[in-house]
Amino acid sequence: MSEFDLVPEDGSYAALALDFALGALDGAALRSTELRLRRDPDFARDVAAWQAQLGPLADEVAPVAPPPGAWARVESELFRTAVARQPEPSRPIAAALSFWRRLAFGASAVAAVALALLVIRPDTVPPAIPTAASAAAGGLLAASMASTDTAKAVLITATYDPSRGAVILTPAAADASRGLTPELWLIVGKDAPRSLGVIDLKDPQAHKVPGALRAQLTSGATLAISLEPAGGSPTGLPTGPVVAAGKLTAI
Amino acid sequence: MSGAAGLVVLLDRIGAGDRGSLKLLYEATSAKLFGVILRILLERGEAEDVLQEVYITVWRKAAEFDATRASPITWMVTIARNRAIDRLRAKGSRPTTTLDEAAEVRDTAPGADVMIDASNDAKRVAAALGTLDPRHAAVIRSAYFEGLTYEALSDREGVPVGTLKSWVRRGLMRMRTVLA
Repeated sequence: MSEFDLVPEDGSYAALALDFALGALDGAALRSTELRLRRDPDFARDVAAWQAQLGPLADEVAPVAPPPGAWARVESELFRTAVARQPEPSRPIAAALSFWRRLAFGASAVAAVALALLVIRPDTVPPAIPTAASAAAGGLLAASMASTDTAKAVLITATYDPSRGAVILTPAAADASRGLTPELWLIVGKDAPRSLGVIDLKDPQAHKVPGALRAQLTSGATLAISLEPAGGSPTGLPTGPVVAAGKLTAI
Repeated sequence: MSGAAGLVVLLDRIGAGDRGSLKLLYEATSAKLFGVILRILLERGEAEDVLQEVYITVWRKAAEFDATRASPITWMVTIARNRAIDRLRAKGSRPTTTLDEAAEVRDTAPGADVMIDASNDAKRVAAALGTLDPRHAAVIRSAYFEGLTYEALSDREGVPVGTLKSWVRRGLMRMRTVLA
């Protein structure tokens, strides 16, 4: 007999539905009931009926206003937008956000990327920021995409091969996505970021660039990676933290 | 945007990914849910953690909400109670105040002042509870509002677990026939 078949010694499943809806179970009985709830639609209906019967009782509980910061925490957890209002956000996300804002508004994009490149090779003079005109037509373009947290470790190397219309992504560090989906973005000048699609950071791969955007991948354009919900950004713009960014240069 | 119909519309929009509707839903329902959670957990910091989990769950599960099967507020209260009870069970026990204080917070029938603002459904449920043996009604309230297990309730009442279960089960089944 599996746990799923467990019948309470002093009652039927009907009584168990009531016990569960009330919330009076504990330990093994609670776990086996949760299992049953997922597998047995009739049982789930019984539980829902008891929950509906009990539900109005909640009206007897006096409302208590939650602390003012509570909504910001929900928003931050879901959308990573309210971090600035929090006293102690996790640093990588805060850094990523502030980095993203700089990029989005264009003001310090050049400085930010120069800094990222500087960190990759700390002993060398940062290369001059190339202009689109300096890119050899049809040549390879590469970007070392530095992590946007304080460590500025190189997360990934991106090489754009115009002849294949693909970005070859070579991860240099462990996947930091924590169950989220990495999405690759192209930022040209002060334009809004455009999605190049969701990517896999675990293994080296060639990521096809949508045909319409290929002409935009030029020296000086920025590639960035944000972490998005499964399936990618629901809005068409980055919604999650930017974990890596770097500028394309001709090689 | 208020009332059950308003909440159904909000949940529908949230299910489609509308963040603004989640904020409206939070504004309309968070004090009620925080009250329910706080009643179970007693500790404000933990209650706030659970409140946050509840709205994250609502965001993720809103598309599964079925207005033909549950009222929106019952659906959300159920999520809140389940989360709070999970947290309570994970801690091992309720942060028991002293026995004297426990006696003070023991759940009894609500005063008239509370019931004036209650919905008609709540009044009907309270009336149905009122038809039970007062001791049986009190343990049902304690289980519901405080998240206590059968074990804890039997300890508190000084009766065997089997007896306690039959009080609760027969009580709820009787309520069902009264409400039908």
